[in-house]
Amino acid sequence: MPEVLLGITGKDFTLIAASKAAMRGATILKAADDKTRQLNKHTLMAFSGEAGDTVQFAEYIQANAQLYSMRNETDLSPSALAHFVRGELASSLRSRKPYNVNLLLGGVDPITHQPSLYWLDYLASLAPVPYAAHGYAQYYCLSLLDKHHQPDITLERGMELLTLCADELKRRLPIDFKGLIVKAVTKDGIKEMPFDNDKVVKGT
Amino acid sequence: MSRRYDSRTTIFSPDGRLYQVEYALEAISHAGTAIGILAKDGIVLAAERKVTSKLLEQDTSAEKLYILNDNMICAVAGMTADANILINYARQAAQRYLLTYNEDIPCEQLVRRLCDLKQGYTQHGGLRPFGVSFIYAGWDPQRQFQLYLSNPSGNYGGWKATSSGANHASAQSLLKQDYKEDCTLKEACGMAVKVLSKTMDSTKLSSEKIEFATVGQTKDGKIYHKLWSAEEITALLKEHDLAKDETTEERRARHDRREGK
Amino acid sequence: MPSPFSINGGACVAMVGKDCVAIACDLRLGLQALTVSNNFPKVFQYGDNVFLGLTGLATDVSTVSDLFRYKVNMYRLREERHIAPRTFANLVSSSLYERRFGPYFVSPVVAGLDPKTGAPFICGFDSIGCIDFAQDFIVSGTATDQLFGMCESLWEPGLGPDELFETISQALLNAVDRDALSGWGAHVYIIEKDKVTKRLLKGRQD
Repeated sequence: MPEVLLGITGKDFTLIAASKAAMRGATILKAADDKTRQLNKHTLMAFSGEAGDTVQFAEYIQANAQLYSMRNETDLSPSALAHFVRGELASSLRSRKPYNVNLLLGGVDPITHQPSLYWLDYLASLAPVPYAAHGYAQYYCLSLLDKHHQPDITLERGMELLTLCADELKRRLPIDFKGLIVKAVTKDGIKEMPFDNDKVVKGT
Repeated sequence: MSRRYDSRTTIFSPDGRLYQVEYALEAISHAGTAIGILAKDGIVLAAERKVTSKLLEQDTSAEKLYILNDNMICAVAGMTADANILINYARQAAQRYLLTYNEDIPCEQLVRRLCDLKQGYTQHGGLRPFGVSFIYAGWDPQRQFQLYLSNPSGNYGGWKATSSGANHASAQSLLKQDYKEDCTLKEACGMAVKVLSKTMDSTKLSSEKIEFATVGQTKDGKIYHKLWSAEEITALLKEHDLAKDETTEERRARHDRREGK
Repeated sequence: MPSPFSINGGACVAMVGKDCVAIACDLRLGLQALTVSNNFPKVFQYGDNVFLGLTGLATDVSTVSDLFRYKVNMYRLREERHIAPRTFANLVSSSLYERRFGPYFVSPVVAGLDPKTGAPFICGFDSIGCIDFAQDFIVSGTATDQLFGMCESLWEPGLGPDELFETISQALLNAVDRDALSGWGAHVYIIEKDKVTKRLLKGRQD
């Protein structure tokens, strides 16, 4: 729950941000953790939840997405991947030991170039959304994005909104999440975005 | 000699052939002709229906053209009973893909799924191969309109115009002669009836002897497929002056059959 | 731990009119008090005039609606005709009962017109497939209590398509306004012979 996952779509991009802290109980084990996996050229998945389950499940999905790309010489669209992940998570939900993983899946359609973002929780509820968050970040960031987000924003404006969210999280979350790792998906692929995590935000 | 190498499909003959597969191809070359033509705005499939007896109930459903899913249809040349198994398999594969990915299966993937099954029967088991060739017509967002042909060996290929079944060699050369790049669906339909009229035994065609289906795109971009009714086929034949003149008696008989009398 | 039927929230209602039926649902998807999405439809179409509304656990709403799409598509290809509402209702019932000891947490509603007679057909189910046939209206979801009240007071026999649209819309909108777990817009379908009208109601976004 203290892990932060954020996603924002705009005119021609999808931004995914994830906190860099890897935690176990009250201890921070790592301050440069990457909670995202690239599924194919234009789809990125961020994950949070029970330690062990998260990476195991994400890399299982990543392997399946890559297998599909190799077999069929074409990539699955973000929508197809989102529904595939939902199916895997839904069958896991009714198994002996379900995966406890929450996900954000962002991408740009390889044919239409439409950006998209999918919100999935460990129950395998799936919703396409313009912006999304997981964990406690939902309570702080969704209201901010409700106010400031527009569907046709530019990548620069998207980064500004992420800064707005990060500032609010630094101000209100009682624990240090060690900053965000930010990745942008556009029709040209996925690239990591520079993000100022050293900015000090004073409390209220 | 041949007895030793054709009782099972899994054994090559000394000159490197699989006799059972070749026999399956032979069986198909006796079946009614099926042709497919790719146009820039759609695809037409046409097939010859062999009327074996006038006592046979002609039910309304097509016997050589089948819908596989929302954006793919196919024509069958060969054994209908074998085809039914494969078509059911294809439909289930298409629906399973839709269930997992919430998207329609890309055409070539569905063709490949069927061909993998067909190939299996040329290699293991003591079972005979499926005696069916398919001509597939479909659309997907990646490669738009596509036409494929597959045969009992499990081989398949993409075509601009192709044929299968009896006289397929002459149909193929007619198609090669007449095919125009960038032809419209309407032109392709005309070409299809002309080719069929030349390859079929009887010179004058009627809606009872052929089946017709098209895949196309509506003005608002939606993909549709349509199995043609007898009236629509007759109209097309009339347009190309290939229709058999029905006697009054024949027309009444056809009418009665449709009314279920 | 809340009931799986009320984690995500949602409401659905179907009504009979004169030679027409209507089915409507809200659009909210939530996690208890938090709203995640205001675009999560719960009514699905399976043929010319067969509709299924699904409320309950969102994951099962998706699973069950996709499963019926598979089954109905196979039925249509095999039978070369659309499925009739009554046939579909029995398919829903038997499919849910297959999971008798590990059910899908959904409360389905079926609405449609008989393809032969054009007679209106609606029914509801519990999560293990017991059918509740009705001649007037069926409600389901987290706003059932409110919907029952609204339907009891607004519905009357023999409503035409336009009156039925007004009735079902008012019943749904006013019911979900008194439920914290549903609302945030609605989809309304009016089903007549040879015509289906789908309307999107914006609704209160709070």
